[in-house]
Amino acid sequence: MSIHPGTAAKRKAPGSNAPANPAKVRRRSPTRVNPALYLFPLPAVAVVAFFLVMPTLQAFQYAITDWNGFSAAFNYVGVDNFVRAFTKDSLFTNALTNNLKFVLLVVIAQTVFSLVLALLLTKNSRGSILLRALFFFPTILSSVSVAFIWKFIYDPNFGLANSVLRTVGVDGGAYLGNDAQALYWVAVTQVWFHSGQMMVVYIAGLQAIPRELYEAAEMDGANKWQQFKSITWPFVAPATSIVVAYTTVQSFKAFDLILGIAGNPPKAALDILSTRIYSTFANSEFGYAAAQSIIFMAMIALVTWLQRRLLRLTPKGD
Amino acid sequence: MSQISRRQAVALLGALGFGAAAAACAGPGGSTAPGGASGPAAPSTGAVTGKVSFAHWRGEDKAVFDELIKRFAAKHDGVEIAQDISTSNDYNAQALQKLRGGSIGDAFATFRGSQFKNFTEAGIYTELKDSKAVGNYQKGLLSAGRNGDSQLGLPYQVVFPMPMANVDLFDKAGAEIAPKNWDAFLGMCEKLASAGVIPISWPGGDVGNGGQLFNCMIANNAPVDDMCAQIEQGKLKCTDDWFLKMLGQYKDLAPFVQPNATGTAVEPAQNLFSQGKAAMLATGSYHIAAVRGLGAKFPIDLVFPNTTSDGNGKYEGAYNATFILGVNSASKNQAAAAAWIDFLSEPENAGYYANQTAQHVSVDKVEYTNPDLKRLSPWLQKKTALAARFQFNNLDVRNAVEASATAVISGTSPEQAAAAAQKIVDERL
Repeated sequence: MSIHPGTAAKRKAPGSNAPANPAKVRRRSPTRVNPALYLFPLPAVAVVAFFLVMPTLQAFQYAITDWNGFSAAFNYVGVDNFVRAFTKDSLFTNALTNNLKFVLLVVIAQTVFSLVLALLLTKNSRGSILLRALFFFPTILSSVSVAFIWKFIYDPNFGLANSVLRTVGVDGGAYLGNDAQALYWVAVTQVWFHSGQMMVVYIAGLQAIPRELYEAAEMDGANKWQQFKSITWPFVAPATSIVVAYTTVQSFKAFDLILGIAGNPPKAALDILSTRIYSTFANSEFGYAAAQSIIFMAMIALVTWLQRRLLRLTPKGD
Repeated sequence: MSQISRRQAVALLGALGFGAAAAACAGPGGSTAPGGASGPAAPSTGAVTGKVSFAHWRGEDKAVFDELIKRFAAKHDGVEIAQDISTSNDYNAQALQKLRGGSIGDAFATFRGSQFKNFTEAGIYTELKDSKAVGNYQKGLLSAGRNGDSQLGLPYQVVFPMPMANVDLFDKAGAEIAPKNWDAFLGMCEKLASAGVIPISWPGGDVGNGGQLFNCMIANNAPVDDMCAQIEQGKLKCTDDWFLKMLGQYKDLAPFVQPNATGTAVEPAQNLFSQGKAAMLATGSYHIAAVRGLGAKFPIDLVFPNTTSDGNGKYEGAYNATFILGVNSASKNQAAAAAWIDFLSEPENAGYYANQTAQHVSVDKVEYTNPDLKRLSPWLQKKTALAARFQFNNLDVRNAVEASATAVISGTSPEQAAAAAQKIVDERL
């Protein structure tokens, strides 16, 4: 049986207080393990490397080329694609503006709406459980189905919205056909689609609040608003942080919903960053589309980071 | 089993990571582009056997192609053809990447315009000019598949991107189905509106289908036949008088399209027409099958919005030659793929395809038995302009230019709409 050198180095000579070899003792010996153990993470590492790391690195490389996606010939153009996006491409800046507007609309509306829903439906009565299920239902639908359902609702000729309005003698609008309003109507769809999911996050937070706090507050004469401000909000604030971050990323990437509801390509009033990137790829401008993707990625990272910094809704300390 | 240290394991993972990074840094495009400087070659010859992948986007034609595949297989022992069908959007975005490897799309179809150009530049096509198939086509309809001296693709379908008309409603309203000039066209719309129907059902909420009317509106307005190519190159401008005149004519149409037309998707627009609520559907003959599927029983004809004031326009209509068939240069079974294209191009088989799908074909000597095709066949002989919107190679430019018409219908002034479109064109020059 062989003796592990590390083990031998740690042994003292009999009758001596000095280490056998001080240098060896200080050096941390490598632990020898069965190599089979290292095989376990390999599939995950391979998947991450091939489907995340490599494409990301490639995107960075393509972003500085004028590659059209098909030919072997291309030129390195440095930061031209990035400069073009912000200075010579009004379709990109329009998509960026639309996207920021869409994110802002959805984040505010969805956060407020899902919190109100959660407050109304926290009780475990039969009625509120049914309503919770109803509000959660859209979440289990595919985004393409949601897009088609709402496309039908908004249709000016046969759609549900105008049909209902006509019964009360009101002429409905063009909804998605009205450039000034189209983004708002898609935001309504997005809020309807995801609020149930966010409601569940809030309900989980609300149900963790000890009932005794409310009982004590009532005994002290606190009204509902004071109870919300002093008890409910501090408890659900961390959940709000999660809801806002999640909703932000979700609304930045509302690609499938927009494409489903507005068609491909969407008109300028409904073009957001992800659909613009898709159009640029389809237009055989791979290098430029890669640069747009990097800007998109940076934008999401920046907005998410800013939110975390500005909201600071997670209570500190214990 | 020998053991390795943690350091060795980390080094191994690091090497793997470095390898991935290095692989990622390989030049884009690589050297896999098929074809080469020598130009396209004819498909290789040999036994017509083995598996052939036929890639296209017309899911609605699947059953018809299945029957044709059965007939083809009966003629050739051991040949098997599988249809690889994508949606048209996906096909536009991904087909080229899929076809380059040669594993799918031994035989394939492309859209006319930017897609055909991209495929040509990528060297996907083989040369078909000496093929048996070419001789079966009407010579004048092959140009959409030509690149220089090469005949790379065979445009299979002939469609008319012109408003379809419900002949019964026209008769009832006493409206002229072949207006000679713009005033006559507007007069016809007035009569239809007075008869209580929507004159034009226009899917303004659908960029692709809503844009087809543009082919008619621009045909006799533009000073040259390659007007869209020249707009894209900056030689003609959307702010030119002729273009503004055309946008003004779109403005004339606004009272005659259905309310909120800019928010109408293609299916509701088809419904308005097939239910007899609208007299015209401003998409094209390619929607005949869909309209019939929705229950339309009335006779259908085509109407050309002749935009001239004196009726002396160069063109009497617009057509498009599309669904361009080709044989993949990366295919390992070119002989069977080419035989399949030859088979589709025989008048009998092209006739079967046409009559079953209600699409005219560019193959010569085809007998049309479908009542709609028979009724519309005279249009094949008229002086029609090749649909201009497919001259655009940049899709952003095409969408921006066509969006100027949509903007005018929704109330923007022609000058403002034209300036907005020209801004996008200038950015892409």
